[in-house]
Amino acid sequence: MIEIINLCKSFGKHRVLDNLNLMIERGETTVIIGRSGCGKSVLLKHIIGLLKPDSGQIFIDGKDITRLSTKELNDIRLKFGMLFQGAALFDSLSVWENVGFNLLERGAKRKDIMTRVSECLDLVGLKGVEEAKPAELSGGMRKRVGLARAVCMRPEIILYDEPTTGVDPVMGDAVNKLIESLHDKLRVTSITVTHDMKSAYRIADKIAMLYDGKIIAVGTPDEIKNTNNPIVKQFINGDSEGPITKGG
Amino acid sequence: MATLKKGIEQLGEGAISFIGYIGSIVIFMGEIIFWAAHPPFRIKQLIRHAEKIGASSLPIVTLISLFTGMVLALQSAYQMQKIQAEMYIASLVALSMIRELGPVLTALIVAGRCGASITAEIGTMKVTEQIDALETLAANPINYLVVPRFWAMLVSLLILTIYANFIGIVGGYIVGVYKLHIPHHMYVKMTFDPLTQSDMRNGLYKSIVFAVVICVIACYEGMNAREGAEGVGKATTASVVKSFVLIIACDCILTALMYFIGR
Repeated sequence: MIEIINLCKSFGKHRVLDNLNLMIERGETTVIIGRSGCGKSVLLKHIIGLLKPDSGQIFIDGKDITRLSTKELNDIRLKFGMLFQGAALFDSLSVWENVGFNLLERGAKRKDIMTRVSECLDLVGLKGVEEAKPAELSGGMRKRVGLARAVCMRPEIILYDEPTTGVDPVMGDAVNKLIESLHDKLRVTSITVTHDMKSAYRIADKIAMLYDGKIIAVGTPDEIKNTNNPIVKQFINGDSEGPITKGG
Repeated sequence: MATLKKGIEQLGEGAISFIGYIGSIVIFMGEIIFWAAHPPFRIKQLIRHAEKIGASSLPIVTLISLFTGMVLALQSAYQMQKIQAEMYIASLVALSMIRELGPVLTALIVAGRCGASITAEIGTMKVTEQIDALETLAANPINYLVVPRFWAMLVSLLILTIYANFIGIVGGYIVGVYKLHIPHHMYVKMTFDPLTQSDMRNGLYKSIVFAVVICVIACYEGMNAREGAEGVGKATTASVVKSFVLIIACDCILTALMYFIGR
């Protein structure tokens, strides 16, 4: 279970997260929606300990990760897999080295690594690209390799940062399907950050809207669709006029 | 009065930011030293980077050292001939190369060529979230990215400096023997006679300090690159400029220290 309590983060004078509270249950797929630049990715980076909050707590299975040492944090990170917006594959390594990075770092045998890499690439529907360099892959393939890397260590929690951004609609749908199937096969807790509502409705058990540094609404996709909150309504309908744009 | 106040404020801000920068660099250097002593030791990566820094820099180091040795011999010949002391050209070239020009020129070449490339590479990794990805995979970016480059830079710059010293002396020899007609045996004797162990040692000490400066600045600027491609460009420029300034400043301080200690 992930519990975020009164999380605050500012960059200079700009307060990005302002006493944010959110609870994510084990095995649940939570989608965090919000406008570009509202702090969704910042929230995700706090959950995996890439950023330190100014104040507040983040509990992962009862442990407050904001107070852990680097070593303890690295142990916790092994529970996580993360798909970055641009996949963030290591340019200088081949696909198999990227996917099996963690195993390579832990000194596993090449044969065992290759077996696991093949399994993970199969899971994301890729074959025969083990020796390719990331620069030789298309955007969609890079996302899939990124996903294969994220699931390689059999994580309990997977974080997706804008998984459908930068890919065409057909590939976007394929990525959504992949997220759903990974959730079903691996029974993981998923947290997805997106402003793609089609994707949100498809994959979410729960949708949370981030606005002005706070979570202003949480509910099932149906509850969010039928919300009376004018800010959420404007966002999900994609209206250019309403309280969001009036508020700046 | 207002202009003076503003000027003092700006000076103060500049001083605070400079001290902050030096502080960050010292902390970063501490982290490198800490991780350099901790496993895993990435020998394969070290060799790969040493090849990039050392072997690939050989042609340009050869060219510049050779020409420097030749120019040094020609310039000193102009003066020495006036007092009929041409035979001292060999000693002047050897001492200048080993104590000063070899270490400094090689460091400047490596800073411009390899320091910039290190900053651009690490900076691109930073802005494309590859460094964040490393951390999410429980790998320490300093241990993985910086430490192998640090050792590679140290070893490569030392070897390149020794090589540059030799080539510079060869350059001086070509001018001295074939143009100024100094006898071969006399030139060789006058090259090695005045050289002491401390001359060699001091040159190499400088080289070690320069290697640390280049690597720390290049990696630090890369790790702190911001704002996409433009940020990487800015970081690369900053890395080269700061390395150049610090190499010359360190050279000045080290030369003074060695002069006073050696007296």
